Amino acid sequence: MANTGNGFEPEITAFICIYCADMAADIAGALHIQYPANVKLVKMPCTGKTDAQYILDAFEHGADGVYVVGCPIGNCHHVRGNERARMRVKKTKKLLDEIGLGGERLAMYFVSGGMGETFAHAAEEMTERIRALGPSPLRELQGEPS
Amino acid sequence: MLEPRITDVISDPDNDAGSVMVVGGGVAGMRAAVDLAEAGLKVYLVEAAPALGGRVAQLGYMFPTHDCVLCRGTSDHGYGCTRPAISPAFQDKNLHPNIRLLTLTNIIAVDGQAGDFRVTLRHEPRYVDPARCISCDLCSIVCPVELPSSFQLELATRKAAYKVAVRTIPDAYVIDRGPYCDDCGRCAEVCPTQCIDLDEQPHESRVRVGAIILAVGYDLSDAGEYEELGFGRYANVIHSMQYERLASRSGPTEGLVLRPSDGKKPRRIAWLQCVGSRDQKHPYCSSICCMYATKEAMIAKERLPGVHAQVFMMDERAFNKEFNAYYEAARKKHGVEYTRARISYVKEDPATGDLILHYPDPAGKLIQDRFDLVVLSLGTAPPRSAKTLAEELGIELNEYGFCQTDKFTPLETSAPGVYVCGTFLSPKEIAETFLDAAGAAGDVMRLMSSQLGRNASSREYPFLSIGDEFPPERDVSAEPIRAGVFVCRCEPSIDGVIDTQNVAEFASTLPNVVHAERLAFGCLDPDLDRIRQAIEAHGLNRVVVAGCSPRTHESLFQRVTRQAGLNSYLLAMANIREQCAWVHESQPVLATRKAKELVRMAVNRVSLAQPVHKLHVKPTDQALIIGGGVAGMQAALSIADAGYNVTLVERQAQLGGNLRHIYYVAEGQNPQRLLRDLINRVRGHERIEVLTRSELKTHTGRTGDFRSVIVTHAGELDVETAVRHAVTIVTTGGEEWRGDIYLLGRDARVVTQLDLEEIIVHRPEKVAEFKQVVMIQCVHPPAEMEYCSRICCTNTMKNALRVKMLNPNCQVYVLYKNMITYGFREQYYTETRRRGVIFMRYDEEHMPQAGRRPDGQLEVRAWEQVFRREMILSPDLIALSPAIVPSPGTAELAKILDVPLSVEGFFQEAHLKMRPMDFMAEGIFMAGMAHYPKFIEETIINAQATAGRAITLLAKKPLYYGGPVAVVDPVKCVGCLTCVRTCPFEIPQIQADLTGVGGIIGAAYIEPALCQGCGTCTAECPAKAIQLVAYLDAQLMGETVGAWVA
Repeated sequence: MANTGNGFEPEITAFICIYCADMAADIAGALHIQYPANVKLVKMPCTGKTDAQYILDAFEHGADGVYVVGCPIGNCHHVRGNERARMRVKKTKKLLDEIGLGGERLAMYFVSGGMGETFAHAAEEMTERIRALGPSPLRELQGEPS
Repeated sequence: MLEPRITDVISDPDNDAGSVMVVGGGVAGMRAAVDLAEAGLKVYLVEAAPALGGRVAQLGYMFPTHDCVLCRGTSDHGYGCTRPAISPAFQDKNLHPNIRLLTLTNIIAVDGQAGDFRVTLRHEPRYVDPARCISCDLCSIVCPVELPSSFQLELATRKAAYKVAVRTIPDAYVIDRGPYCDDCGRCAEVCPTQCIDLDEQPHESRVRVGAIILAVGYDLSDAGEYEELGFGRYANVIHSMQYERLASRSGPTEGLVLRPSDGKKPRRIAWLQCVGSRDQKHPYCSSICCMYATKEAMIAKERLPGVHAQVFMMDERAFNKEFNAYYEAARKKHGVEYTRARISYVKEDPATGDLILHYPDPAGKLIQDRFDLVVLSLGTAPPRSAKTLAEELGIELNEYGFCQTDKFTPLETSAPGVYVCGTFLSPKEIAETFLDAAGAAGDVMRLMSSQLGRNASSREYPFLSIGDEFPPERDVSAEPIRAGVFVCRCEPSIDGVIDTQNVAEFASTLPNVVHAERLAFGCLDPDLDRIRQAIEAHGLNRVVVAGCSPRTHESLFQRVTRQAGLNSYLLAMANIREQCAWVHESQPVLATRKAKELVRMAVNRVSLAQPVHKLHVKPTDQALIIGGGVAGMQAALSIADAGYNVTLVERQAQLGGNLRHIYYVAEGQNPQRLLRDLINRVRGHERIEVLTRSELKTHTGRTGDFRSVIVTHAGELDVETAVRHAVTIVTTGGEEWRGDIYLLGRDARVVTQLDLEEIIVHRPEKVAEFKQVVMIQCVHPPAEMEYCSRICCTNTMKNALRVKMLNPNCQVYVLYKNMITYGFREQYYTETRRRGVIFMRYDEEHMPQAGRRPDGQLEVRAWEQVFRREMILSPDLIALSPAIVPSPGTAELAKILDVPLSVEGFFQEAHLKMRPMDFMAEGIFMAGMAHYPKFIEETIINAQATAGRAITLLAKKPLYYGGPVAVVDPVKCVGCLTCVRTCPFEIPQIQADLTGVGGIIGAAYIEPALCQGCGTCTAECPAKAIQLVAYLDAQLMGETVGAWVA
């Protein structure tokens, strides 16, 4: 866990599709729209590839938050990969609630390729949310020094 | 791709005979260029603007799919999303090797003739070398000149040093040195790669080409001509293209529609149709405005809750596949209001900026209404360059200023060897533009058949290449992993924020990494050489480049990796520029940490990567065409003339299809001559085998290698013929629906328009006896979905005019819902009205009723909307325009081919807009009315487009498929059907000849030629029996993904 100054800096993993989401991330870059540096971006061919197992595995390895970014509903490059992902994220949120990690540590966003602002906003929103929630309870269980 | 330097002749003398020039870099030009390039011809793609994209690049969404055009067809990122149709042939670092892109270029002179043109081009200076521009934006930041952005239609500003859009092809800035530029030179000073040369001069060059395709597009009608509508005077009157930018996610507001006067969200928006169309000055229909206004209104309804969206129109021209359902959804589901009125003036309330419209209410009373925003649905005008091009090339323009062609050779201009496509030919939507473009390319392939495949390109690798340019691939399977990490400094873009030295040092400590170094600019030649050398010197077998976006540069580094003898999939990129340095400028410490994490993840990912090889097949020289009407015959001739063999299957005893019953057309040509000509040429062609009285029985295999069995019904005997073919083309057509309606089939005086045509031609004396004829449009099967059959209104005009010609005293009534005389066909509507034909509109609530009086006289009761009363007509003949329905057997054929049908029952294309001639299954195509009802010229274009697309596959030796796709491990498969159900493309199948887990019979199989590589099945397979090559589970999981250690 990184401590810059006195605040807790969350460590977040974002699974993004290489179509709209990656494009929007690039647009945010090209327009120099600033957002927190707390998010690692993991590229996938489509959010339909988001296996619930990947999300759980990221938490298991210490992520404080996870989110998925795909094309807008109805505009998925693979027709409805993003809908499948949405369904899985919903189920996984429930599971996270049940095991006490908290479903609010997981989210899914839908952006179009041109929406740099929206992409940056998602990173900001997640970082703030996780910052408020504090470190993942799994870390304490695993006895990570903080 | 390098722009040409100053030279006199830029043609390659060895290849120039096989070169084609495509003028215009919008969607039409791009489509034509890619098809030609794929067929092995060299292409010069000439564009006057600094970047590709044309009009479509400015659209936010397409009707009726609401696809975001960002990834489906804009210069924003060069067609990343329409694979395999257009991508990745237009990505900056992966331009098709057969396409030479010449932006900021215009044609100034053309000499020679078909097969041997000499074109003189003038290149305007960009002042930026696109090969060295790294899109760092510094030139733009220091530029003191701020100007309205034409890409954003003056709704935003740009600098004089600018890029048209965030991502463009070429992906480079341009210096606009108009009078506002004060030559301060700051841009050149600040450029980190010294790629700005303010002394660059315009220059000319000469090119030899065999053929020219004009795809120069259209101009918007001038909104300023309609002073009474307030454009330019009232802030809140905007035109439709401006609305597109406002609603676009890549627009100035990321899709937020706001009033220009006060930035408030509009609550009431009005669209005024036919501005610059269907009037005295522009007596044609622009064909697209009805649908785009519907789209814009629908999006307004979705984005602005509670907004009132009202469209003022004359007819709702929703005349293509799925359009009618779309229009109905706008009306019923979204609550868009349609009012039949042409607004003659707009007034502004100066206090509020609101706009006041006057129009008649349904009872005919004039009312006054206020709106916050008025959108003028601008029509399309001929391109500004039309006149000079026409003069230079010696081509004729039509009376409206668009390009003139003949109905039966619809893509050939009056100058041999010069073809036209897209909106320069006539106003049209994207899908038809693509058909035109592919059709023009098909025409050129026929003309230049001896050159086909001469520069065969290959899709063997994830990037495009001309075969055999690489050394043999090194087998790394037995080697320990040796990864090299290259960190781009891209000073100051990356280095200015991220401590790249720290990142490189960190990288060298990572497992498997044997070499790590920093590069100044990895994308420029010296550092590309360095990477190649390092791979060799350190025996690297995995490569990581940490730098800018893989979207723009991955193919470049994949190519370098392959050049160094490694499989391209043994490369991974970490985006530490767009997705790190540039978005964390004020947090250098955290940005450096994130960059290290991204590199660590990439190293892990590439360490687990395995080489990926595509499969290949050598296509046979044979095409199979099912259906021997105009479409089938035209496609057969195009393919056979290009040098490939065709088997043409026709169910009837004779060739010709519907064309056999068409005797004249609105435009005046003789379709029977076309019929004879086509049949004679098909019958006489040495490369075409015709099987009449024949049907397809089975169809198996994949693109390049299909196997079919054809059954020929020869009297008592059925003869079977086996055909091996590379492509399949479906041209089975459609026919008039003849159901039990309006006494059709029960009274000889009730006929269809096709019957009436027979009467007019064969028994004109009967027409002379008619006192009154009633024509009823939009006659469709009652319980079924209604769709517009496109051709009926014009056919009705054609027959009404003939009746009036033979018998001027005969009263002709046309009962219609919407008059669909789109494009230049509007003239026949105008002419029919001039001849005294009476038009009466009806709607669902007031359907015309037809019956027989006791004395046997026919009677039609119809509601007259203007007088608001029922009219009783006593016709001698009722001519119906029934819906065009798919040919019988269409559903059965779809089953044999394993392809889907559309909601209307026609064949379903891969993408409604971008790929109207392709099936999703590669290697199978469609043309003509099997796709949707269409006119003869549209059918010919469609057939040529399909032939062209088919030739791009036939010309490939070999044809590559598969690669990064999903692969099932049958021994883990339980046959649960999860993949079959979840695949968005319906590709997985359970095959009985495979053995699943524990020896059970049957396991899932995913055809690599069809798999789109999304990985949805892999994520849902409960047995984890499917892996997506290049995105293995292990690569997306584990410590590097979840944990941060840096």
